[in-house]
Amino acid sequence: MKCVEFERVLPEYLEGNYLPAQQAHLQTCAACSNLLADLKLISEQAKSLIASHEPSPALWNALEERLRREGLIRQAQPSGFRLRSFSSRWRLAWLVPVAAAIAIGTVVKLHYPMKAGDTQPVVRQESIPAPPAKPISSEDLQLLTTVAERPPAQRAKYRANLDDANSFIRDAEQSAKQDPSDIFMQQMLINAYEQKQMLYDLAVYRSEPGEQ
Amino acid sequence: MRPKKGNLTDATKLQGDKLTEREAIERAKQGDAEAFKFLYDLHKRRVYSLCLRMTGNTASAEDLTQEAFLQLFRKIGTFRGESAFSTWLHRMAVNVVLMQLRKKGLPVVPIDEPTEPDEEVTVTKEPGAADERLAGSIDRLELQRAVDELPPGYRTIFVLHDVEGYEHNEIAGMVGCSIGNSKSQLHKARLKLRELLRVNRAEKAMKR
Amino acid sequence: MRTQRALRAATVLMFAGMAFGTSTVRKDLHFRVGKHPTVSINNPYGPITVRAGAPQQVVVVAMLHSDRVELDQSQSRNRINLVSHLLPGADSISGVVEYEVLVPPDADVTLHADTGTLHAEKLHGDLTMEGVNAAMEVVDCADGHVHLKTLNGNVNLTNVRNGHVEVVSMNGDVVMTGVSGPYVSVNSNSGRIQYDGDFGGEGEYNFISHTGNIEAMAPPYASIDVLARSNQGPVESDFSLEPKHAPFISRTGSAFTGTLGKAASSVRLFSFSGKIHLKKRQN
Repeated sequence: MKCVEFERVLPEYLEGNYLPAQQAHLQTCAACSNLLADLKLISEQAKSLIASHEPSPALWNALEERLRREGLIRQAQPSGFRLRSFSSRWRLAWLVPVAAAIAIGTVVKLHYPMKAGDTQPVVRQESIPAPPAKPISSEDLQLLTTVAERPPAQRAKYRANLDDANSFIRDAEQSAKQDPSDIFMQQMLINAYEQKQMLYDLAVYRSEPGEQ
Repeated sequence: MRPKKGNLTDATKLQGDKLTEREAIERAKQGDAEAFKFLYDLHKRRVYSLCLRMTGNTASAEDLTQEAFLQLFRKIGTFRGESAFSTWLHRMAVNVVLMQLRKKGLPVVPIDEPTEPDEEVTVTKEPGAADERLAGSIDRLELQRAVDELPPGYRTIFVLHDVEGYEHNEIAGMVGCSIGNSKSQLHKARLKLRELLRVNRAEKAMKR
Repeated sequence: MRTQRALRAATVLMFAGMAFGTSTVRKDLHFRVGKHPTVSINNPYGPITVRAGAPQQVVVVAMLHSDRVELDQSQSRNRINLVSHLLPGADSISGVVEYEVLVPPDADVTLHADTGTLHAEKLHGDLTMEGVNAAMEVVDCADGHVHLKTLNGNVNLTNVRNGHVEVVSMNGDVVMTGVSGPYVSVNSNSGRIQYDGDFGGEGEYNFISHTGNIEAMAPPYASIDVLARSNQGPVESDFSLEPKHAPFISRTGSAFTGTLGKAASSVRLFSFSGKIHLKKRQN
């Protein structure tokens, strides 16, 4: 058997179908013997590549969102926001649009005292006549507390962002409640939550110096 | 003999958590988020690595991984436990990737042409001239690099057979080629890898 | 894998030739890295510019505007972390650090800032920018995941292709020029969303806003399946769209839907009360 012929039936050989002529050829031919050994090695080593890489953590977040969107995850409460300055396991429960009591047009402003050392915030409420006013949530309160140490201009911006985020959630919740089968509104609501989550993440991030 | 697919890296964990995986599947059918996460964590590396290997870039691999799991979770209600869950999942992942390659017009597996010019160097023509063997073992990273350099058609078949452990008849079914074609393309892929490994090693040696 | 200790930069040396004032200090840093390194910079105040440079090294030039801020650096194998550490008394002026960074094109880059412009150019790895008021610019990047999060800073993406783009903005305007790829998503509250491109790449394009206007400009040869809807604002299309097979159930608000060409890409333009306008590029 010549090398060319050996090579032609090599695939079968590697599958375990030997011919005596092939084995005889291997005894005398170093080149074919090396080739065989190399291909075997490559084939064996290939197994080490299985499951060799890890996807980024963000992948799960995106997947989970899609699962929720498609209704594959069915839970009473969607997983909420995490305030990172507290335990990382702590989740804030957000009420599902259908179940939530919706307050319209209520804005709660927190005024922080100018004097250092005075820790009592003054709460002023201005509301447009509507069904039960929604009090400021404890999570929002914590957000505002977190940014309380920042310069006034920055604090004002965070408050404005918070108002915008809550306003979006309110609008989307209300519309979703009116027509629960409206996928467009469900998407809006998810986006509204995403924005609020981002606000929390960015406001809190700076409160944790040295976090990498 | 070759170990069957599914008995590789995740296997030991799978064995130990077998009961838990079954529970997780049942809970996932009910829409339990933690159960989905459990199943995802158990299989994400294998699925992602497959997608990465077949497409060659992280963005596509992530999108395809997401797509594969999404399809899996959509259909989990129909899983009756006849085959191993991992087999089911990985096959779905392969299908998702192959569909994507087809959509992009990339060759999935090139069809054997009798007159196809063989670009790879195989055995030297003069009998008796000893071809250098690839010394020692092959480092995982250098093999990875060589696989990434394979033409897409060869890469598919090599990944499915030698890395993921599918048999030729299964590959032929998934990819839509003949068993003979699958075998010959695999052989060419291995030959090409041998060549690439040689070239890369030679380059490295020159740099020193 | 143990992280090296963070090193504190000396703040009193001044290099000749850098005439910025007696308290401005220049730091030059150089790191050797392997393939696909991760570079993370946390700079509360000041611009960060990251460009593609030579492979296997990260080169940093940082200008510290006062001694109220220190540069902490750490390297753990292939991962580099730079933090502008504010000392007591630092504010948005004295705490400024300006970064000019060169990274390998395949590096994954993460930037955090309160103020200052974040600029990334010619990168192919994953890019994450998070800012409160910082403006963001991403130019000539391809293939990677681009994740931008801003509260009030404007975002500009120019010639960003073939990757996965996600932008979330509260107030900042998001302007995209020549952006295409398998997935482009913008989620804005009141920021304006503006797109000028070809919606190519058989991608999924989702632009969603609360009150911000959405303006998308596409060429006559665009190949899209588009659905635009605003709950309380007007919608307008310069194109005559082919109607779709499935009947479109009209709900509240205004909407249009249809296809152009082969409908290769999917385009979703949703706003709660913003104006939506799909424009046709004239050329």
